[in-house]
Amino acid sequence: MLIDKTDTSHSKDPAEVAIDHVANSYDHIILHLPSLGVFDFSITKHVFLLILVALITVSSMIFLVQNYISSKTKIPGKTMNFIEMIILYMRENVLKGFIGEKYYKDWDALVYTIFFFFLIGNFLGLIPIFDFLGFINYLAGGIPVVKDLIHGGNTVTANINLNFALATITFCAFTIAGIRRYGFFHHWKNLAPPGLAWPLYFIVVPIEVMAMLIRPISLTLRLAGNMMGGHLALIIFTQLFIIEIAKNYGIFAALGGSIFSVSLSIGVILLEIIVAFIQAYVFALLTAVYIGMGVNVDH
Amino acid sequence: MDNPLFIIDPGLFIWSIIIFLLVLFILKRYAWTPLLNFIDEREKEISDSLAMAESAKADLEQVREESEKILNEAKNQSKSIVSDGKQRAEQSANTILNDAKQKSDEFVLDAKKKIDVEKKRAIKEIKEEVVDLSLDLASQVLQRNVKDEDNNKFVQSSLKEINTDEAKS
Repeated sequence: MLIDKTDTSHSKDPAEVAIDHVANSYDHIILHLPSLGVFDFSITKHVFLLILVALITVSSMIFLVQNYISSKTKIPGKTMNFIEMIILYMRENVLKGFIGEKYYKDWDALVYTIFFFFLIGNFLGLIPIFDFLGFINYLAGGIPVVKDLIHGGNTVTANINLNFALATITFCAFTIAGIRRYGFFHHWKNLAPPGLAWPLYFIVVPIEVMAMLIRPISLTLRLAGNMMGGHLALIIFTQLFIIEIAKNYGIFAALGGSIFSVSLSIGVILLEIIVAFIQAYVFALLTAVYIGMGVNVDH
Repeated sequence: MDNPLFIIDPGLFIWSIIIFLLVLFILKRYAWTPLLNFIDEREKEISDSLAMAESAKADLEQVREESEKILNEAKNQSKSIVSDGKQRAEQSANTILNDAKQKSDEFVLDAKKKIDVEKKRAIKEIKEEVVDLSLDLASQVLQRNVKDEDNNKFVQSSLKEINTDEAKS
């Protein structure tokens, strides 16, 4: 992260610099809004990023889809073709496979939205727009709005709060799916598999309840950990590594080291592109799997 | 927890839920539903046109079979017409020939009959002439006129003789 000349509170500790690159920033709130108890609705950088991801997702999807279905030729463009391929793949293999022919239509929109929302969120984190803004801010000597934007990480999907919110939606989805299919009481009864000796229920039921509650947590941590890990690796290779060499061996050694670090970073970025895609898919897939487990208990 | 990576931020949590639900609602309404309907329609169109192609193929096959059948029928008909014609021609030729034969036979028979009649008449005339001549000759030889009675007797016996001779011949 480029050092803001106007910001005197900025820490020079390399570990904090690295963490600052992925974590949200609470010192530089973009827009102060009133709080409601523990809920502080101020626009932090990650709230801003969340809105940005939402806007990009909504506008790009609606633009592509409306353009496609209103076209006379009915031939999809390259991007639309790719989206259609993903949607058809997920419909045939994920939705029909896990939720089943009968119920998948109730949940397909949720699974598609989760996938594309996370995909765009993950990819937006890979594009160094805010580092570029930081560079402009550095050259200009501090621009008021940009100054607040360049603090904090730019991968909103590495934030556990956002991931937990979406995992909560998944949790609600598979609970609602189960209740709609079996009724309120029968759905909770499904936690205990029938036909066991009664003492075993004292062990099985707590395990099943824990497994159910752990699902959103595992979804949260898996995505956040994956997105954080890649970005921490990137910041360490590109910046901390160079800073440490420059500190200890001088600027020319750092230039030499940068050749190594840049080539390594390219590899990490390529890996991150795959990870961004896979993690979005895994989140959507697991949502479908959990909904399927709620709906198809008898199978 | 002091680690900024794990700060609990209820504000961001609520923002995330509100914004995601909004995105879900908008995309469901304006992107996924129209797109999935469009895909379903296209799939239906494809399967319909495949079925149509299949039925058109079957129709074509049927038409081909029908035309073959018609062609075969036409061939058979033309064959039977030709053979019929031949038969009829043969028949009429035969009748003509038979008629001609019959007529010629009748003609010959008629001619034969006429010849017979003429022959008999000629013979009769010759006989009468012969009788007259023989009477003349006999009277000359006898130098006398035989009485009419004798004459008649003689004539009658001579005629009988001639007739029996003729019958023998």
